[in-house]
Amino acid sequence: MALKFPIHMPAHHAGQNEPVKRPKEFACFSYDKDHKFHLDDSSLKWYYPPDIGADLENGYESFIKHDDRVDEHLDSLLKTITNHEQQTGEAIDAHIVTWRGMLTKIMATPFDNDAFEMNATLYRTNLLAGYKFETLSTIPRPWGEISREYIENRDQEIVNNKEQYCSVVRTGFGKSIVCLGGEVDAIWDAKPKTPGEPINWVELKTSAEIRSHNDQFSFDRKLMKYWIQSFLLGVPKIIVGFRTQDGILRNVEEFKTMSIPYDVQRRGKAKWDGNACIKFTSLFLEWLRLNITDEGVWRIKRQRGSTHIELSRVEEV
Amino acid sequence: MGIPAAFRWLSTKYPKIISPVVEENALVMEDGTVVPVDTTQPNPNGEEFDNLYLDMNGIVHPCSHPEDRPAPRDEEEMMIEVFKYTERVVNMVRPRKLLMIAVDGVAPRAKMNQQRSRRFRAAQDAKEKEADKQELIKMLRKEKGSNAKEEPVEEVVKKAFDSNSITPGTPFMDILAQSLRYWCSYKLNTDPAWAKMKVLISDATVPGEGEHKIMNFVRSQRNSPEHDPNTRHVIYGLDADLIMLGLATHEPHFRVLREDVFAQDSKVRMCKLCGQKGHDERNCRGEAKEKEGEFGEKDKALPLKPFIWLHVSVLREYLAIELNISNLPFRWDLERAIDDWVFMCFFVGNDFLPHLPALEIRENGIETLMAIWKDNLAVMGGYVTKDGHVDLDRAQYILSGLAKQEDSIFRRRKEVDDRREAGFKRRKLQQQGNGRGGAQNSPLSGRPRRGAPEANGPPPGMNLFPVASIPKPVITHDMVVNRRAVDQANVANKSAASVLKSQIQGLMAQPQDKPDGDKPDGDKPDGDKPKGDDEPMKEDNPAQTPPSALGKRKAELIEDASSATDATSGTETPIPSSEEGSGDTVRLWEEGYADRYYEQKFKVDAKDIAFRHKVARAYVEGLAWVLMYYFQGCPSWEWFYPYHYAPFAADFVDLSKMDIKFEKGRISRPFEQLMSVLPAASRHSIPEVFHDLMLLEDSPILDFYPEDFDIDLNGKKMSWQGIALLPFIEMPRLLAAMETKAHLLSADDQARNAPGDEVLLISDAHPDLYEDITTHFYSKKQGVPKFKLDPKRSDGLAGEVRKIEGYVPHGSLVYPLERNAMPDVDYDRSLSVSYDMPSSSHTHKSMLLRGLKMPTPALDRSDVEFVRNKGQRGGRSYGGAPLRNSYGGDRGYGNGYGGGGGNNYGSGGN
Ligand SMILES: [Mg+2]
Repeated sequence: MALKFPIHMPAHHAGQNEPVKRPKEFACFSYDKDHKFHLDDSSLKWYYPPDIGADLENGYESFIKHDDRVDEHLDSLLKTITNHEQQTGEAIDAHIVTWRGMLTKIMATPFDNDAFEMNATLYRTNLLAGYKFETLSTIPRPWGEISREYIENRDQEIVNNKEQYCSVVRTGFGKSIVCLGGEVDAIWDAKPKTPGEPINWVELKTSAEIRSHNDQFSFDRKLMKYWIQSFLLGVPKIIVGFRTQDGILRNVEEFKTMSIPYDVQRRGKAKWDGNACIKFTSLFLEWLRLNITDEGVWRIKRQRGSTHIELSRVEEV
Repeated sequence: MGIPAAFRWLSTKYPKIISPVVEENALVMEDGTVVPVDTTQPNPNGEEFDNLYLDMNGIVHPCSHPEDRPAPRDEEEMMIEVFKYTERVVNMVRPRKLLMIAVDGVAPRAKMNQQRSRRFRAAQDAKEKEADKQELIKMLRKEKGSNAKEEPVEEVVKKAFDSNSITPGTPFMDILAQSLRYWCSYKLNTDPAWAKMKVLISDATVPGEGEHKIMNFVRSQRNSPEHDPNTRHVIYGLDADLIMLGLATHEPHFRVLREDVFAQDSKVRMCKLCGQKGHDERNCRGEAKEKEGEFGEKDKALPLKPFIWLHVSVLREYLAIELNISNLPFRWDLERAIDDWVFMCFFVGNDFLPHLPALEIRENGIETLMAIWKDNLAVMGGYVTKDGHVDLDRAQYILSGLAKQEDSIFRRRKEVDDRREAGFKRRKLQQQGNGRGGAQNSPLSGRPRRGAPEANGPPPGMNLFPVASIPKPVITHDMVVNRRAVDQANVANKSAASVLKSQIQGLMAQPQDKPDGDKPDGDKPDGDKPKGDDEPMKEDNPAQTPPSALGKRKAELIEDASSATDATSGTETPIPSSEEGSGDTVRLWEEGYADRYYEQKFKVDAKDIAFRHKVARAYVEGLAWVLMYYFQGCPSWEWFYPYHYAPFAADFVDLSKMDIKFEKGRISRPFEQLMSVLPAASRHSIPEVFHDLMLLEDSPILDFYPEDFDIDLNGKKMSWQGIALLPFIEMPRLLAAMETKAHLLSADDQARNAPGDEVLLISDAHPDLYEDITTHFYSKKQGVPKFKLDPKRSDGLAGEVRKIEGYVPHGSLVYPLERNAMPDVDYDRSLSVSYDMPSSSHTHKSMLLRGLKMPTPALDRSDVEFVRNKGQRGGRSYGGAPLRNSYGGDRGYGNGYGGGGGNNYGSGGN
């Protein structure tokens, strides 16, 4: 029998503040070009701006696309956490371990109608343009250690979304401690020497250039997802490459994650409220912890447009 | 950059690169107490700066021979001057993060040739100056009769500080290093504005020229991922090419700070010879001075010479407009274009190569090259340089383009010279018509004299004789020392002293028939008109007085300043070339000049074309070396250009077949450099064990130290512009000779000969960093001997530090000099460690860094229009040089400038 968590009107959560912990990275892992797992930061990328005018759709033939129909479950994340626990000799204190993507969907729930089903296939919305932008905007070592030739020929690099760096962070919503794993696109400078210090991550996005009020409205809606994603891993900076209809990179803009909710509210076009997202998530996670009582596999599900999130037990495959 | 007048050229062409420095001065209360400026307050220039770099030789040199006061009496006085000057500069900039003090260390061999030439000339000048003084003393005695007191004269005329001791390895440099360390520690202890500032001292024991050590540092930080691309840099120094180095960093928030040599100083002159005010050394008559206070120099707050900013960011804006080319078949990249521009500036002059005969900055040599570059960039298929490497194929385009115009440049130069001379003669005749000589105070004389003191009588306190009371012509030091006359007579290769002597003797014998013309004036204003009498041309403009012991560095400044005078007064004071031909037997303006040039300058047969190509190849190597030196750091410590003269543009052929590689080579030790650059006369700066090698008949290297050497004017007018024909040092022979004496060196000397480290000094008030270092080196849990700084805790500084042997923090700070002009500090709150810049296997890239926020543009639309229009016309006076006809087909780029002969020359050159 499915348990139901009601999705309230956004207004219900507005204005309320819930204590949020700053996410701290405590472990990381990488997928290499063949999507092989490594317990290190070998796939970490550094940001270096792309050439304006680059063709984001160039290279489709050679695009090495990760087959995201394969169910990834939590394997890599759990492997990394296990290793961390062995290293420190201590179990992590998280109540919930999940991918950032999952929580992103939950956080966005009050303001959107999208259906989701957790522990099902990984749902990816990015087109090639997104990955191409990442390839054009990153370098595999700090700028000082990279040749001019590499930087200038990034356009020729084969786009490969199998290669990923994943940060594993500990964060908190209300009383729930959450361990999140998620892909990080790039770093701005260098990881701090002291573990747990904030890291200058960079999230890379592409979007159609804004040419009308309508465009601005859709972009501001998009910013909610960008904001949630970055907020969850503690990514302070989002760099958006705006492209023309033909997929040509028009310009690049930097957004401070922290100020996105305020900027959107100031523009007043799209109506979403970051605090409401946080509050909703806190309540939902608390409810989840209350209801998931054994180690079986559970399914969290929302039907498109539904006013409820359903929780049900799944039989082992 | 060895481009005299480069600064003037830049600032005339790109006026907005300069702005005045707003300076706050200490308050002097009525009771004499001084309220220092609180430099923790916001910078009055409206912007804060992070890093200040001092090219320290640009402070030490001026302090050793100040313009407005007598030279310091001894080293201690000199250090106090250095402290004062440094403090003034630091207070102007108020760096919030880092102060780097870089003193010249041993230089690459390529630079030593120039240093050698400067120092040999300085010694020669000093010798002559000393002889002049003796002459002056003798004559003054004669003049005053036997009852004149003799002592004061000798007491008054001081021995000049030998600026040649400002070379690595001398005891003086040792004292300088100690003093600077003391002073910085003292400031860290006492000045709250220094609390969070990191101080880096790179003294003379660290190899490399000061400004290049600074560039190495900036590059090293740029490669650090934590470097803030919006760091605001200021570099202080005298050389005009600091702005080129600034460009080469590709850090747009970069400024050069320097004294305003344009400032027409209205201040009271002070004689450098006797130390008295009211006259300068040209008019020194050796009178005893009135004693004033303890040190005899209670200067009444002379107005300080103002400083100016040179904004690299604004120059970048100008270049972005001027160099821009649309419709290129490849990506336009301003950073690359700027590098090419810097490269082309090297052709016109640098410290390591003689400039090409066809390229003179005054004849807009840089514009000529820029036009060639613009006309051919598309055809070349890419930029000429990349991150400090030359593409020789493309360099060939530039040189071939210049070669096409070379003949007409030489011919035009001659025409302009002739015209100038004719004009000068005409003016001279006019003046003579107005009355010989004594017309200065007559109402007929055209221009009134600016601020002539005679108008109201000499200023009080001036020891002027009334004209009538002088029985004989008065000899002033001016007559004795002003070498201008000598230069003009083009007797540079004769003994200057002998010419002078006869001159003075002639004067002494002359009856007193010119009551006014040679009257000693108390204080001649700058830019006065030339005297119209039959004396050999004498310039009143002191700025045009040839430099004496100050060497070429000084001469360049003077050149700059005098050019400025020309610019402001709107007239040009021509240097007449003398009747008997300026010894220029090459006659570049006549056919066959290349043959004559190689025969006369290189002593090589006119038919030996292969030799010319060899010279050109060495020159290209030189260009590649210089470019690397500026962009990557010294590519070879041993490479040098082995000729005194440059080839012609036409001699550069088949560059693409060249393969240029540099070996890093051996870095000279300080004493080797001293032996390479100092003349025997300056041997007091070299350990005694080596003196015999410079003096004795049987020394195997005696030929390196000629007492007399020729100076070839090489078509120039001024002796200091000429080329000192010194033999090149043969390193193996020098090293072998020195080796025979090395075991005799004292332990002290050996220590001075050893390479040293950069030192980082911080205050214990520096958050995090102080704690990091002391915990690592001086706590119970001491770590490894090297500690890598965490830029997040050092406020951006990357690098490694090492413990200084024997040093323990929180000891006492002892003033290192004798007279205790500054106090000891019992409990030293500063911390010193050795510092190593982060090394990177990857070299500098001429790219902007991510996250850079460009400075607000300084040029408005009309500036942009102006530059754009001018840029389209500029540099094509000789026909321009689109090379697509001769180089593989017309691809339709550019739109064919030039064609016509050069008939619009002179828009800026005269
Ligand atoms: Mg220097």
